[in-house]
Amino acid sequence: MRRGAARADSGVDTLVAAACVVIAIVLLILPVAPRNRVAGVIRGNVISPLVAMQERAVVAGRAFAVNDSLQQVRDSVLARSLRLGAVEAENARLRDLLGLGRALEWGYTPAEALVSGTDGAAHTLLLSAGRAQGVARLSAVVAADGLVGMVEHIDASTSIAIIWPHPDFRVSATTLDGSAFGIVTAHRGDGVEDWLLELHGVPYRAVLRAGTPVVSSGLGGVFPRGVLIGTVLRELRTGRGWARSYVMRPAVRPSDIASVMILAPNRATTGVESVWRPQAEAAMQRVRAAADSIAELRAKAAADSVAKATPRVVPAVAPIGVPAVAPDSIP
Amino acid sequence: MNRSRTLVVGFVLLVLVALHFTLRPLLDWRAGVDFLVIGVLLVAVRVRPGVAAVVGLLFGLVLDALNPEALGAAALAMTITAFAASRLKAAFFTDDLGLNAIFVFGGKVLFDVLATIVEGRLRGSALLWQLLAWTPLSALATAVVGVVVMAMVRPAIDEQRFR
Repeated sequence: MRRGAARADSGVDTLVAAACVVIAIVLLILPVAPRNRVAGVIRGNVISPLVAMQERAVVAGRAFAVNDSLQQVRDSVLARSLRLGAVEAENARLRDLLGLGRALEWGYTPAEALVSGTDGAAHTLLLSAGRAQGVARLSAVVAADGLVGMVEHIDASTSIAIIWPHPDFRVSATTLDGSAFGIVTAHRGDGVEDWLLELHGVPYRAVLRAGTPVVSSGLGGVFPRGVLIGTVLRELRTGRGWARSYVMRPAVRPSDIASVMILAPNRATTGVESVWRPQAEAAMQRVRAAADSIAELRAKAAADSVAKATPRVVPAVAPIGVPAVAPDSIP
Repeated sequence: MNRSRTLVVGFVLLVLVALHFTLRPLLDWRAGVDFLVIGVLLVAVRVRPGVAAVVGLLFGLVLDALNPEALGAAALAMTITAFAASRLKAAFFTDDLGLNAIFVFGGKVLFDVLATIVEGRLRGSALLWQLLAWTPLSALATAVVGVVVMAMVRPAIDEQRFR
């Protein structure tokens, strides 16, 4: 009985499946127009939300894909613009160097700084010119902005120079007008202060203002007179008798050293006063403008604090137990 | 199936349909996962073969509506696949996940082969590539996802059976 019912069920299932197959086959053999109509009815009524979902998914997928390509385009444009900035800086540096070469006229060897700023040798430079190019030991190394250092060791086609932050670096210096002389060395300070210079041994009567350019004096025979070393920032309180010391901002930052000129020893004796004069004057203007704006700000702050400290008007006759002067005006 | 199991299966089916029309086009794999086949097989093993055939026909029509050029091809293939799956459930549909994977893999291959041949769009080497490379790959991906789906929904569905 039960087996018979199961067989009947199975027969019904087969019949239903056969009917489904027939429907599918009928749909398959329908002419194009009614087939499209049927498909349109199904699409428009039954699966329209699904179609909308699919459409959104496809759009989202395309957006992802486009986003990737846009990102790539943006990255490549950014990389190019960064390279362009470096090329522009290099171009400006080379123009400056060409101008320096033209101004120096003779007695120099152009060189590239090959290694700079590595740990343990941050105060030396490997230069791409050596004995073969006529470089001699203790030759001055300069850049378009000013003094870089001096050659200490020479190889056949390269040389090693110490730059101004080196502890052994010394240069006899003077102001542009020659009113004060001193010795410039690296400044030993903390952090950023470590990348400044010191001018020692300035006579006590010679007071230098912030922004005063300091150039090499030409004494000693290594550095020609007139190479810009830096500008005075402030006086250094050392308490050493009858001489003054000053902290200086260097004309050339070590990180900017790329292309340099090595001056021949006989060039050092003739002087280069006119070469760095425009840079020295421009640097003086910049520092003075900054100092003036700082002074202005300080004056304004002082005026504000004075206004706050002014006593308020109090009654001529104060009640018993109340002081005649406002408590916040008492210094 | 009792009512709560029907509800759970219906919900899972809805999720699978939604995934078929959202995740599948988003992934846009050449051998993509067929969530509709997983859904049909999930239902087919829990209902009578006749009902499975009707469900297969309806799901097939849904697919066909998006491809009116071959209206009826997916319906026919899905009907046969669902009916066969429902008939074979006693032999195949066990608690063994490996057998379930083979079951889903076979179902997807059967559906693809039938649909591709009935559709008649591909010929020659393109047909061979489809049947010998892309269909097995797609079936493999579908089987992996199908096993995961079945492993996830089985506790919710089969728990009812033992109560």
